[in-house]
Amino acid sequence: MKRLLRLFEGLDRGIGWGEAAVLSLSVMALALVSIANVIGRNLLDHSLAFTQEVNQSLMVLITFVGIGYGARRARHIRMSALHDQLRGRWRKALLVFTSVGTAALLFFLAWYAVEYVAQTRRIGSVTPALQIPLWAIYLWVPIGFTVGGIQYLLAALRNLTTPGAHLAFNCADEYENGGEGR
Amino acid sequence: MIGLVVTVMVVLLLLGFPMLVPLVAAALVLLFTEYGFLSPAMLVQQMVGGVKPAVLTAVPLFIFAADLMIRGHTAQRLLDLVESLVGHLRGGLPITTALSCTLFGAVSGSTQATVVAMGGPLRPKLLHAGYRDSFAMGLIINASDIALLIPPSIGMIIYGVVSGTSVGELFIAGIGPGLLILVLFSAYAWFHSWRMNIPVLPRADHTRRLRALRRAVLPLGFPVIIIGGIYSGIFSPTEAAAVSVMYALLLEVVVFRVLRLREIPSVALSTGLVTAVVFILVAGGTAFSWMIAFARIPDLLLGDFITLAADNHLLLLGLLAVAYFIGCMFVDPIVVILILTPIFAPVIKQSGIDPVLVGTLVTLQAAIGSATPPFGCDIFTAQAIFRRPYLEIIRGTPPFIAMLVFATVLLILFPPIALFLRDLAFR
Repeated sequence: MKRLLRLFEGLDRGIGWGEAAVLSLSVMALALVSIANVIGRNLLDHSLAFTQEVNQSLMVLITFVGIGYGARRARHIRMSALHDQLRGRWRKALLVFTSVGTAALLFFLAWYAVEYVAQTRRIGSVTPALQIPLWAIYLWVPIGFTVGGIQYLLAALRNLTTPGAHLAFNCADEYENGGEGR
Repeated sequence: MIGLVVTVMVVLLLLGFPMLVPLVAAALVLLFTEYGFLSPAMLVQQMVGGVKPAVLTAVPLFIFAADLMIRGHTAQRLLDLVESLVGHLRGGLPITTALSCTLFGAVSGSTQATVVAMGGPLRPKLLHAGYRDSFAMGLIINASDIALLIPPSIGMIIYGVVSGTSVGELFIAGIGPGLLILVLFSAYAWFHSWRMNIPVLPRADHTRRLRALRRAVLPLGFPVIIIGGIYSGIFSPTEAAAVSVMYALLLEVVVFRVLRLREIPSVALSTGLVTAVVFILVAGGTAFSWMIAFARIPDLLLGDFITLAADNHLLLLGLLAVAYFIGCMFVDPIVVILILTPIFAPVIKQSGIDPVLVGTLVTLQAAIGSATPPFGCDIFTAQAIFRRPYLEIIRGTPPFIAMLVFATVLLILFPPIALFLRDLAFR
C-alpha cells in the first residue's frame, strides 16, 4: 500500500508540474500576444490577424488544464457550509463522496469530449489565420477532464488511506482540528 | 421537470461539490429526461464555446496586472498618497480605507484581491488609531465591494458576456454607483469617529504630501489607462487589460525594480489558477444556460410574471435586486450571475429596461452579497488573512450593508446615477 501511495505521489507531482507549466506559459503567452496586438493596432496601424484565435486557444487551454490543477490545489469554488459543520469521520466520508462523484462526472464529460473532438476532426475545420486544425486545440478538453477526474480520485484515495481529512491528494484540510470560529 | 432540475442543483450545491458539478449535472438531467435525442457532446461543445468570447480575455489579463501589482509596490504607494491627503480629517483613516479601496478598484477587478491588498496594511492602522476591530473589518470587506463596481470589474465582464451587453458601457456605468458608496461610507466613517470620540490625526505637511504624490504618480496611470482609455473609446476593455499588464510590468520590473523577471512565471501561474477556476464555471454556466433556454425554462418559470413585470419597471428592478442579493449571500457571485442571468433575460428584454442599468444593479448586488453573511466570499477571504473568527468579522457589517441597500434603492429610483456617465461617453 505504501509503495502504491508513493507511486501515486509521483504521478500527482508529475501531473502537477505539467499543469503548472501549461498554465503559467499560457497566461504569459496570452499577455504577450495581446500586448503585441495593442501596440500593432494603435501605433503601427496593423493588428495581428492571429490574435483572436491564439487567445481563444489559450483560454481553452487555461480553462480545461486548470480543472486538474484547481483540484490539486483544492481551489475550485464550492459551498463548504455542510463540510464545515462536520467533523472527523463524517467530514472524511463527505469528501470521499464528493470527490468520487466529481471524478465520475469529469470522466463522463471526458468521454463525450472525445466524441466532440472526433466530430471536429471529421469536419476538418481549421483556424482562419494560422490554419491550425481545431481538433488539435480541442484535444485539451478531454485531457483536462480526464486529468481532473484522476486528481479527484486521488483525493478520495488519500482520504481512504491516510488519517485526517484531505481536500486534495496533497492538501490536508486545514480547518480539520476546529480552526477558529468554524 | 423544473422541480427535478432545481432539486439536483441545490442538493449537489449543499453537499459541497465543486460548482461545476451542479451546473453540468442539472443540464444533463434536463437533457436525459426531456431531450434524449441530444448527445451530451452538445454540452461539451457549449462549454468550449463558452470560454471563447474575445472580451473574456480581459479577465486573465486584469487578474495578471493586479497580481503583478500586489507583489510590487503599487498598492502601498496609492495608499500612502490617500492617507497623506485625507488622513487628518475626522474619520480620516476609515475614509482613507474607503478611498484606497476605490482607487485600487480602478486597478484590480476583484473584491477579494482588494481585501488582501488593502486590508493587510490598513487594519493594524485602524486598530492603532482606536477603532474597534469589528468596525475595521466590516469597513474593509464592504469597502472592497467598491472595487467590483469601479472598472475593471470581473463580475461585469462575466455579466456582459452572458447577457450580450457591452462590457465597455458596463464599466463606465459602474463608476457612479461606486462613487456613491464611497461618499456614503465616508459620511458614516466621519459620524462613527465623532461618536466614538476618536482623536484626529495630524495633518501631513506639504513635503510629505508632495513625496507621496510623486511616488504615486506612476501607479495613478492605471485608472487613466483603463477608465480614460475605455471612456474615450481608444481601447476596448480587452485592449485596456493588455495595456495595464504592460504598464504593470513596466512599473514593477523596470521602474520600481521590486519584481524580478524570473518571478513572473510564478505570478502567471497564480493568475492562471484564479482564471481557470472562474472560467470552468463560465464554461459550465454556458452549457447550463444553453440547456435551460432550449427547454424554455425561463418562460415556464416566470410565466405570467413576464407580462406583469414588463410594464412595471420598478417591480422588475426590485425583484432582480432581491434575487441576485439573496443568491450572492449563499453562492459565489459569478455562479449567481451565470445561473440567474439567462433566467431573467427574456423578461428584461421584453421590459425594455436598459441592459446596462440591469448589469450595474446586478454587479452592485453581487458586491453586496459577497460581503454578507452567511456565505459571502469576502468574509472567508478576511477570515484567511486576518485570522479572526467568523462571528467577529461579521459583527461590524450591518451598518455597511444597510448603506449598500440604500445605494441600491437610490440606483433603482434614479438610474442616471449609473447611466449619466455612460450616456456622456457612448451616446
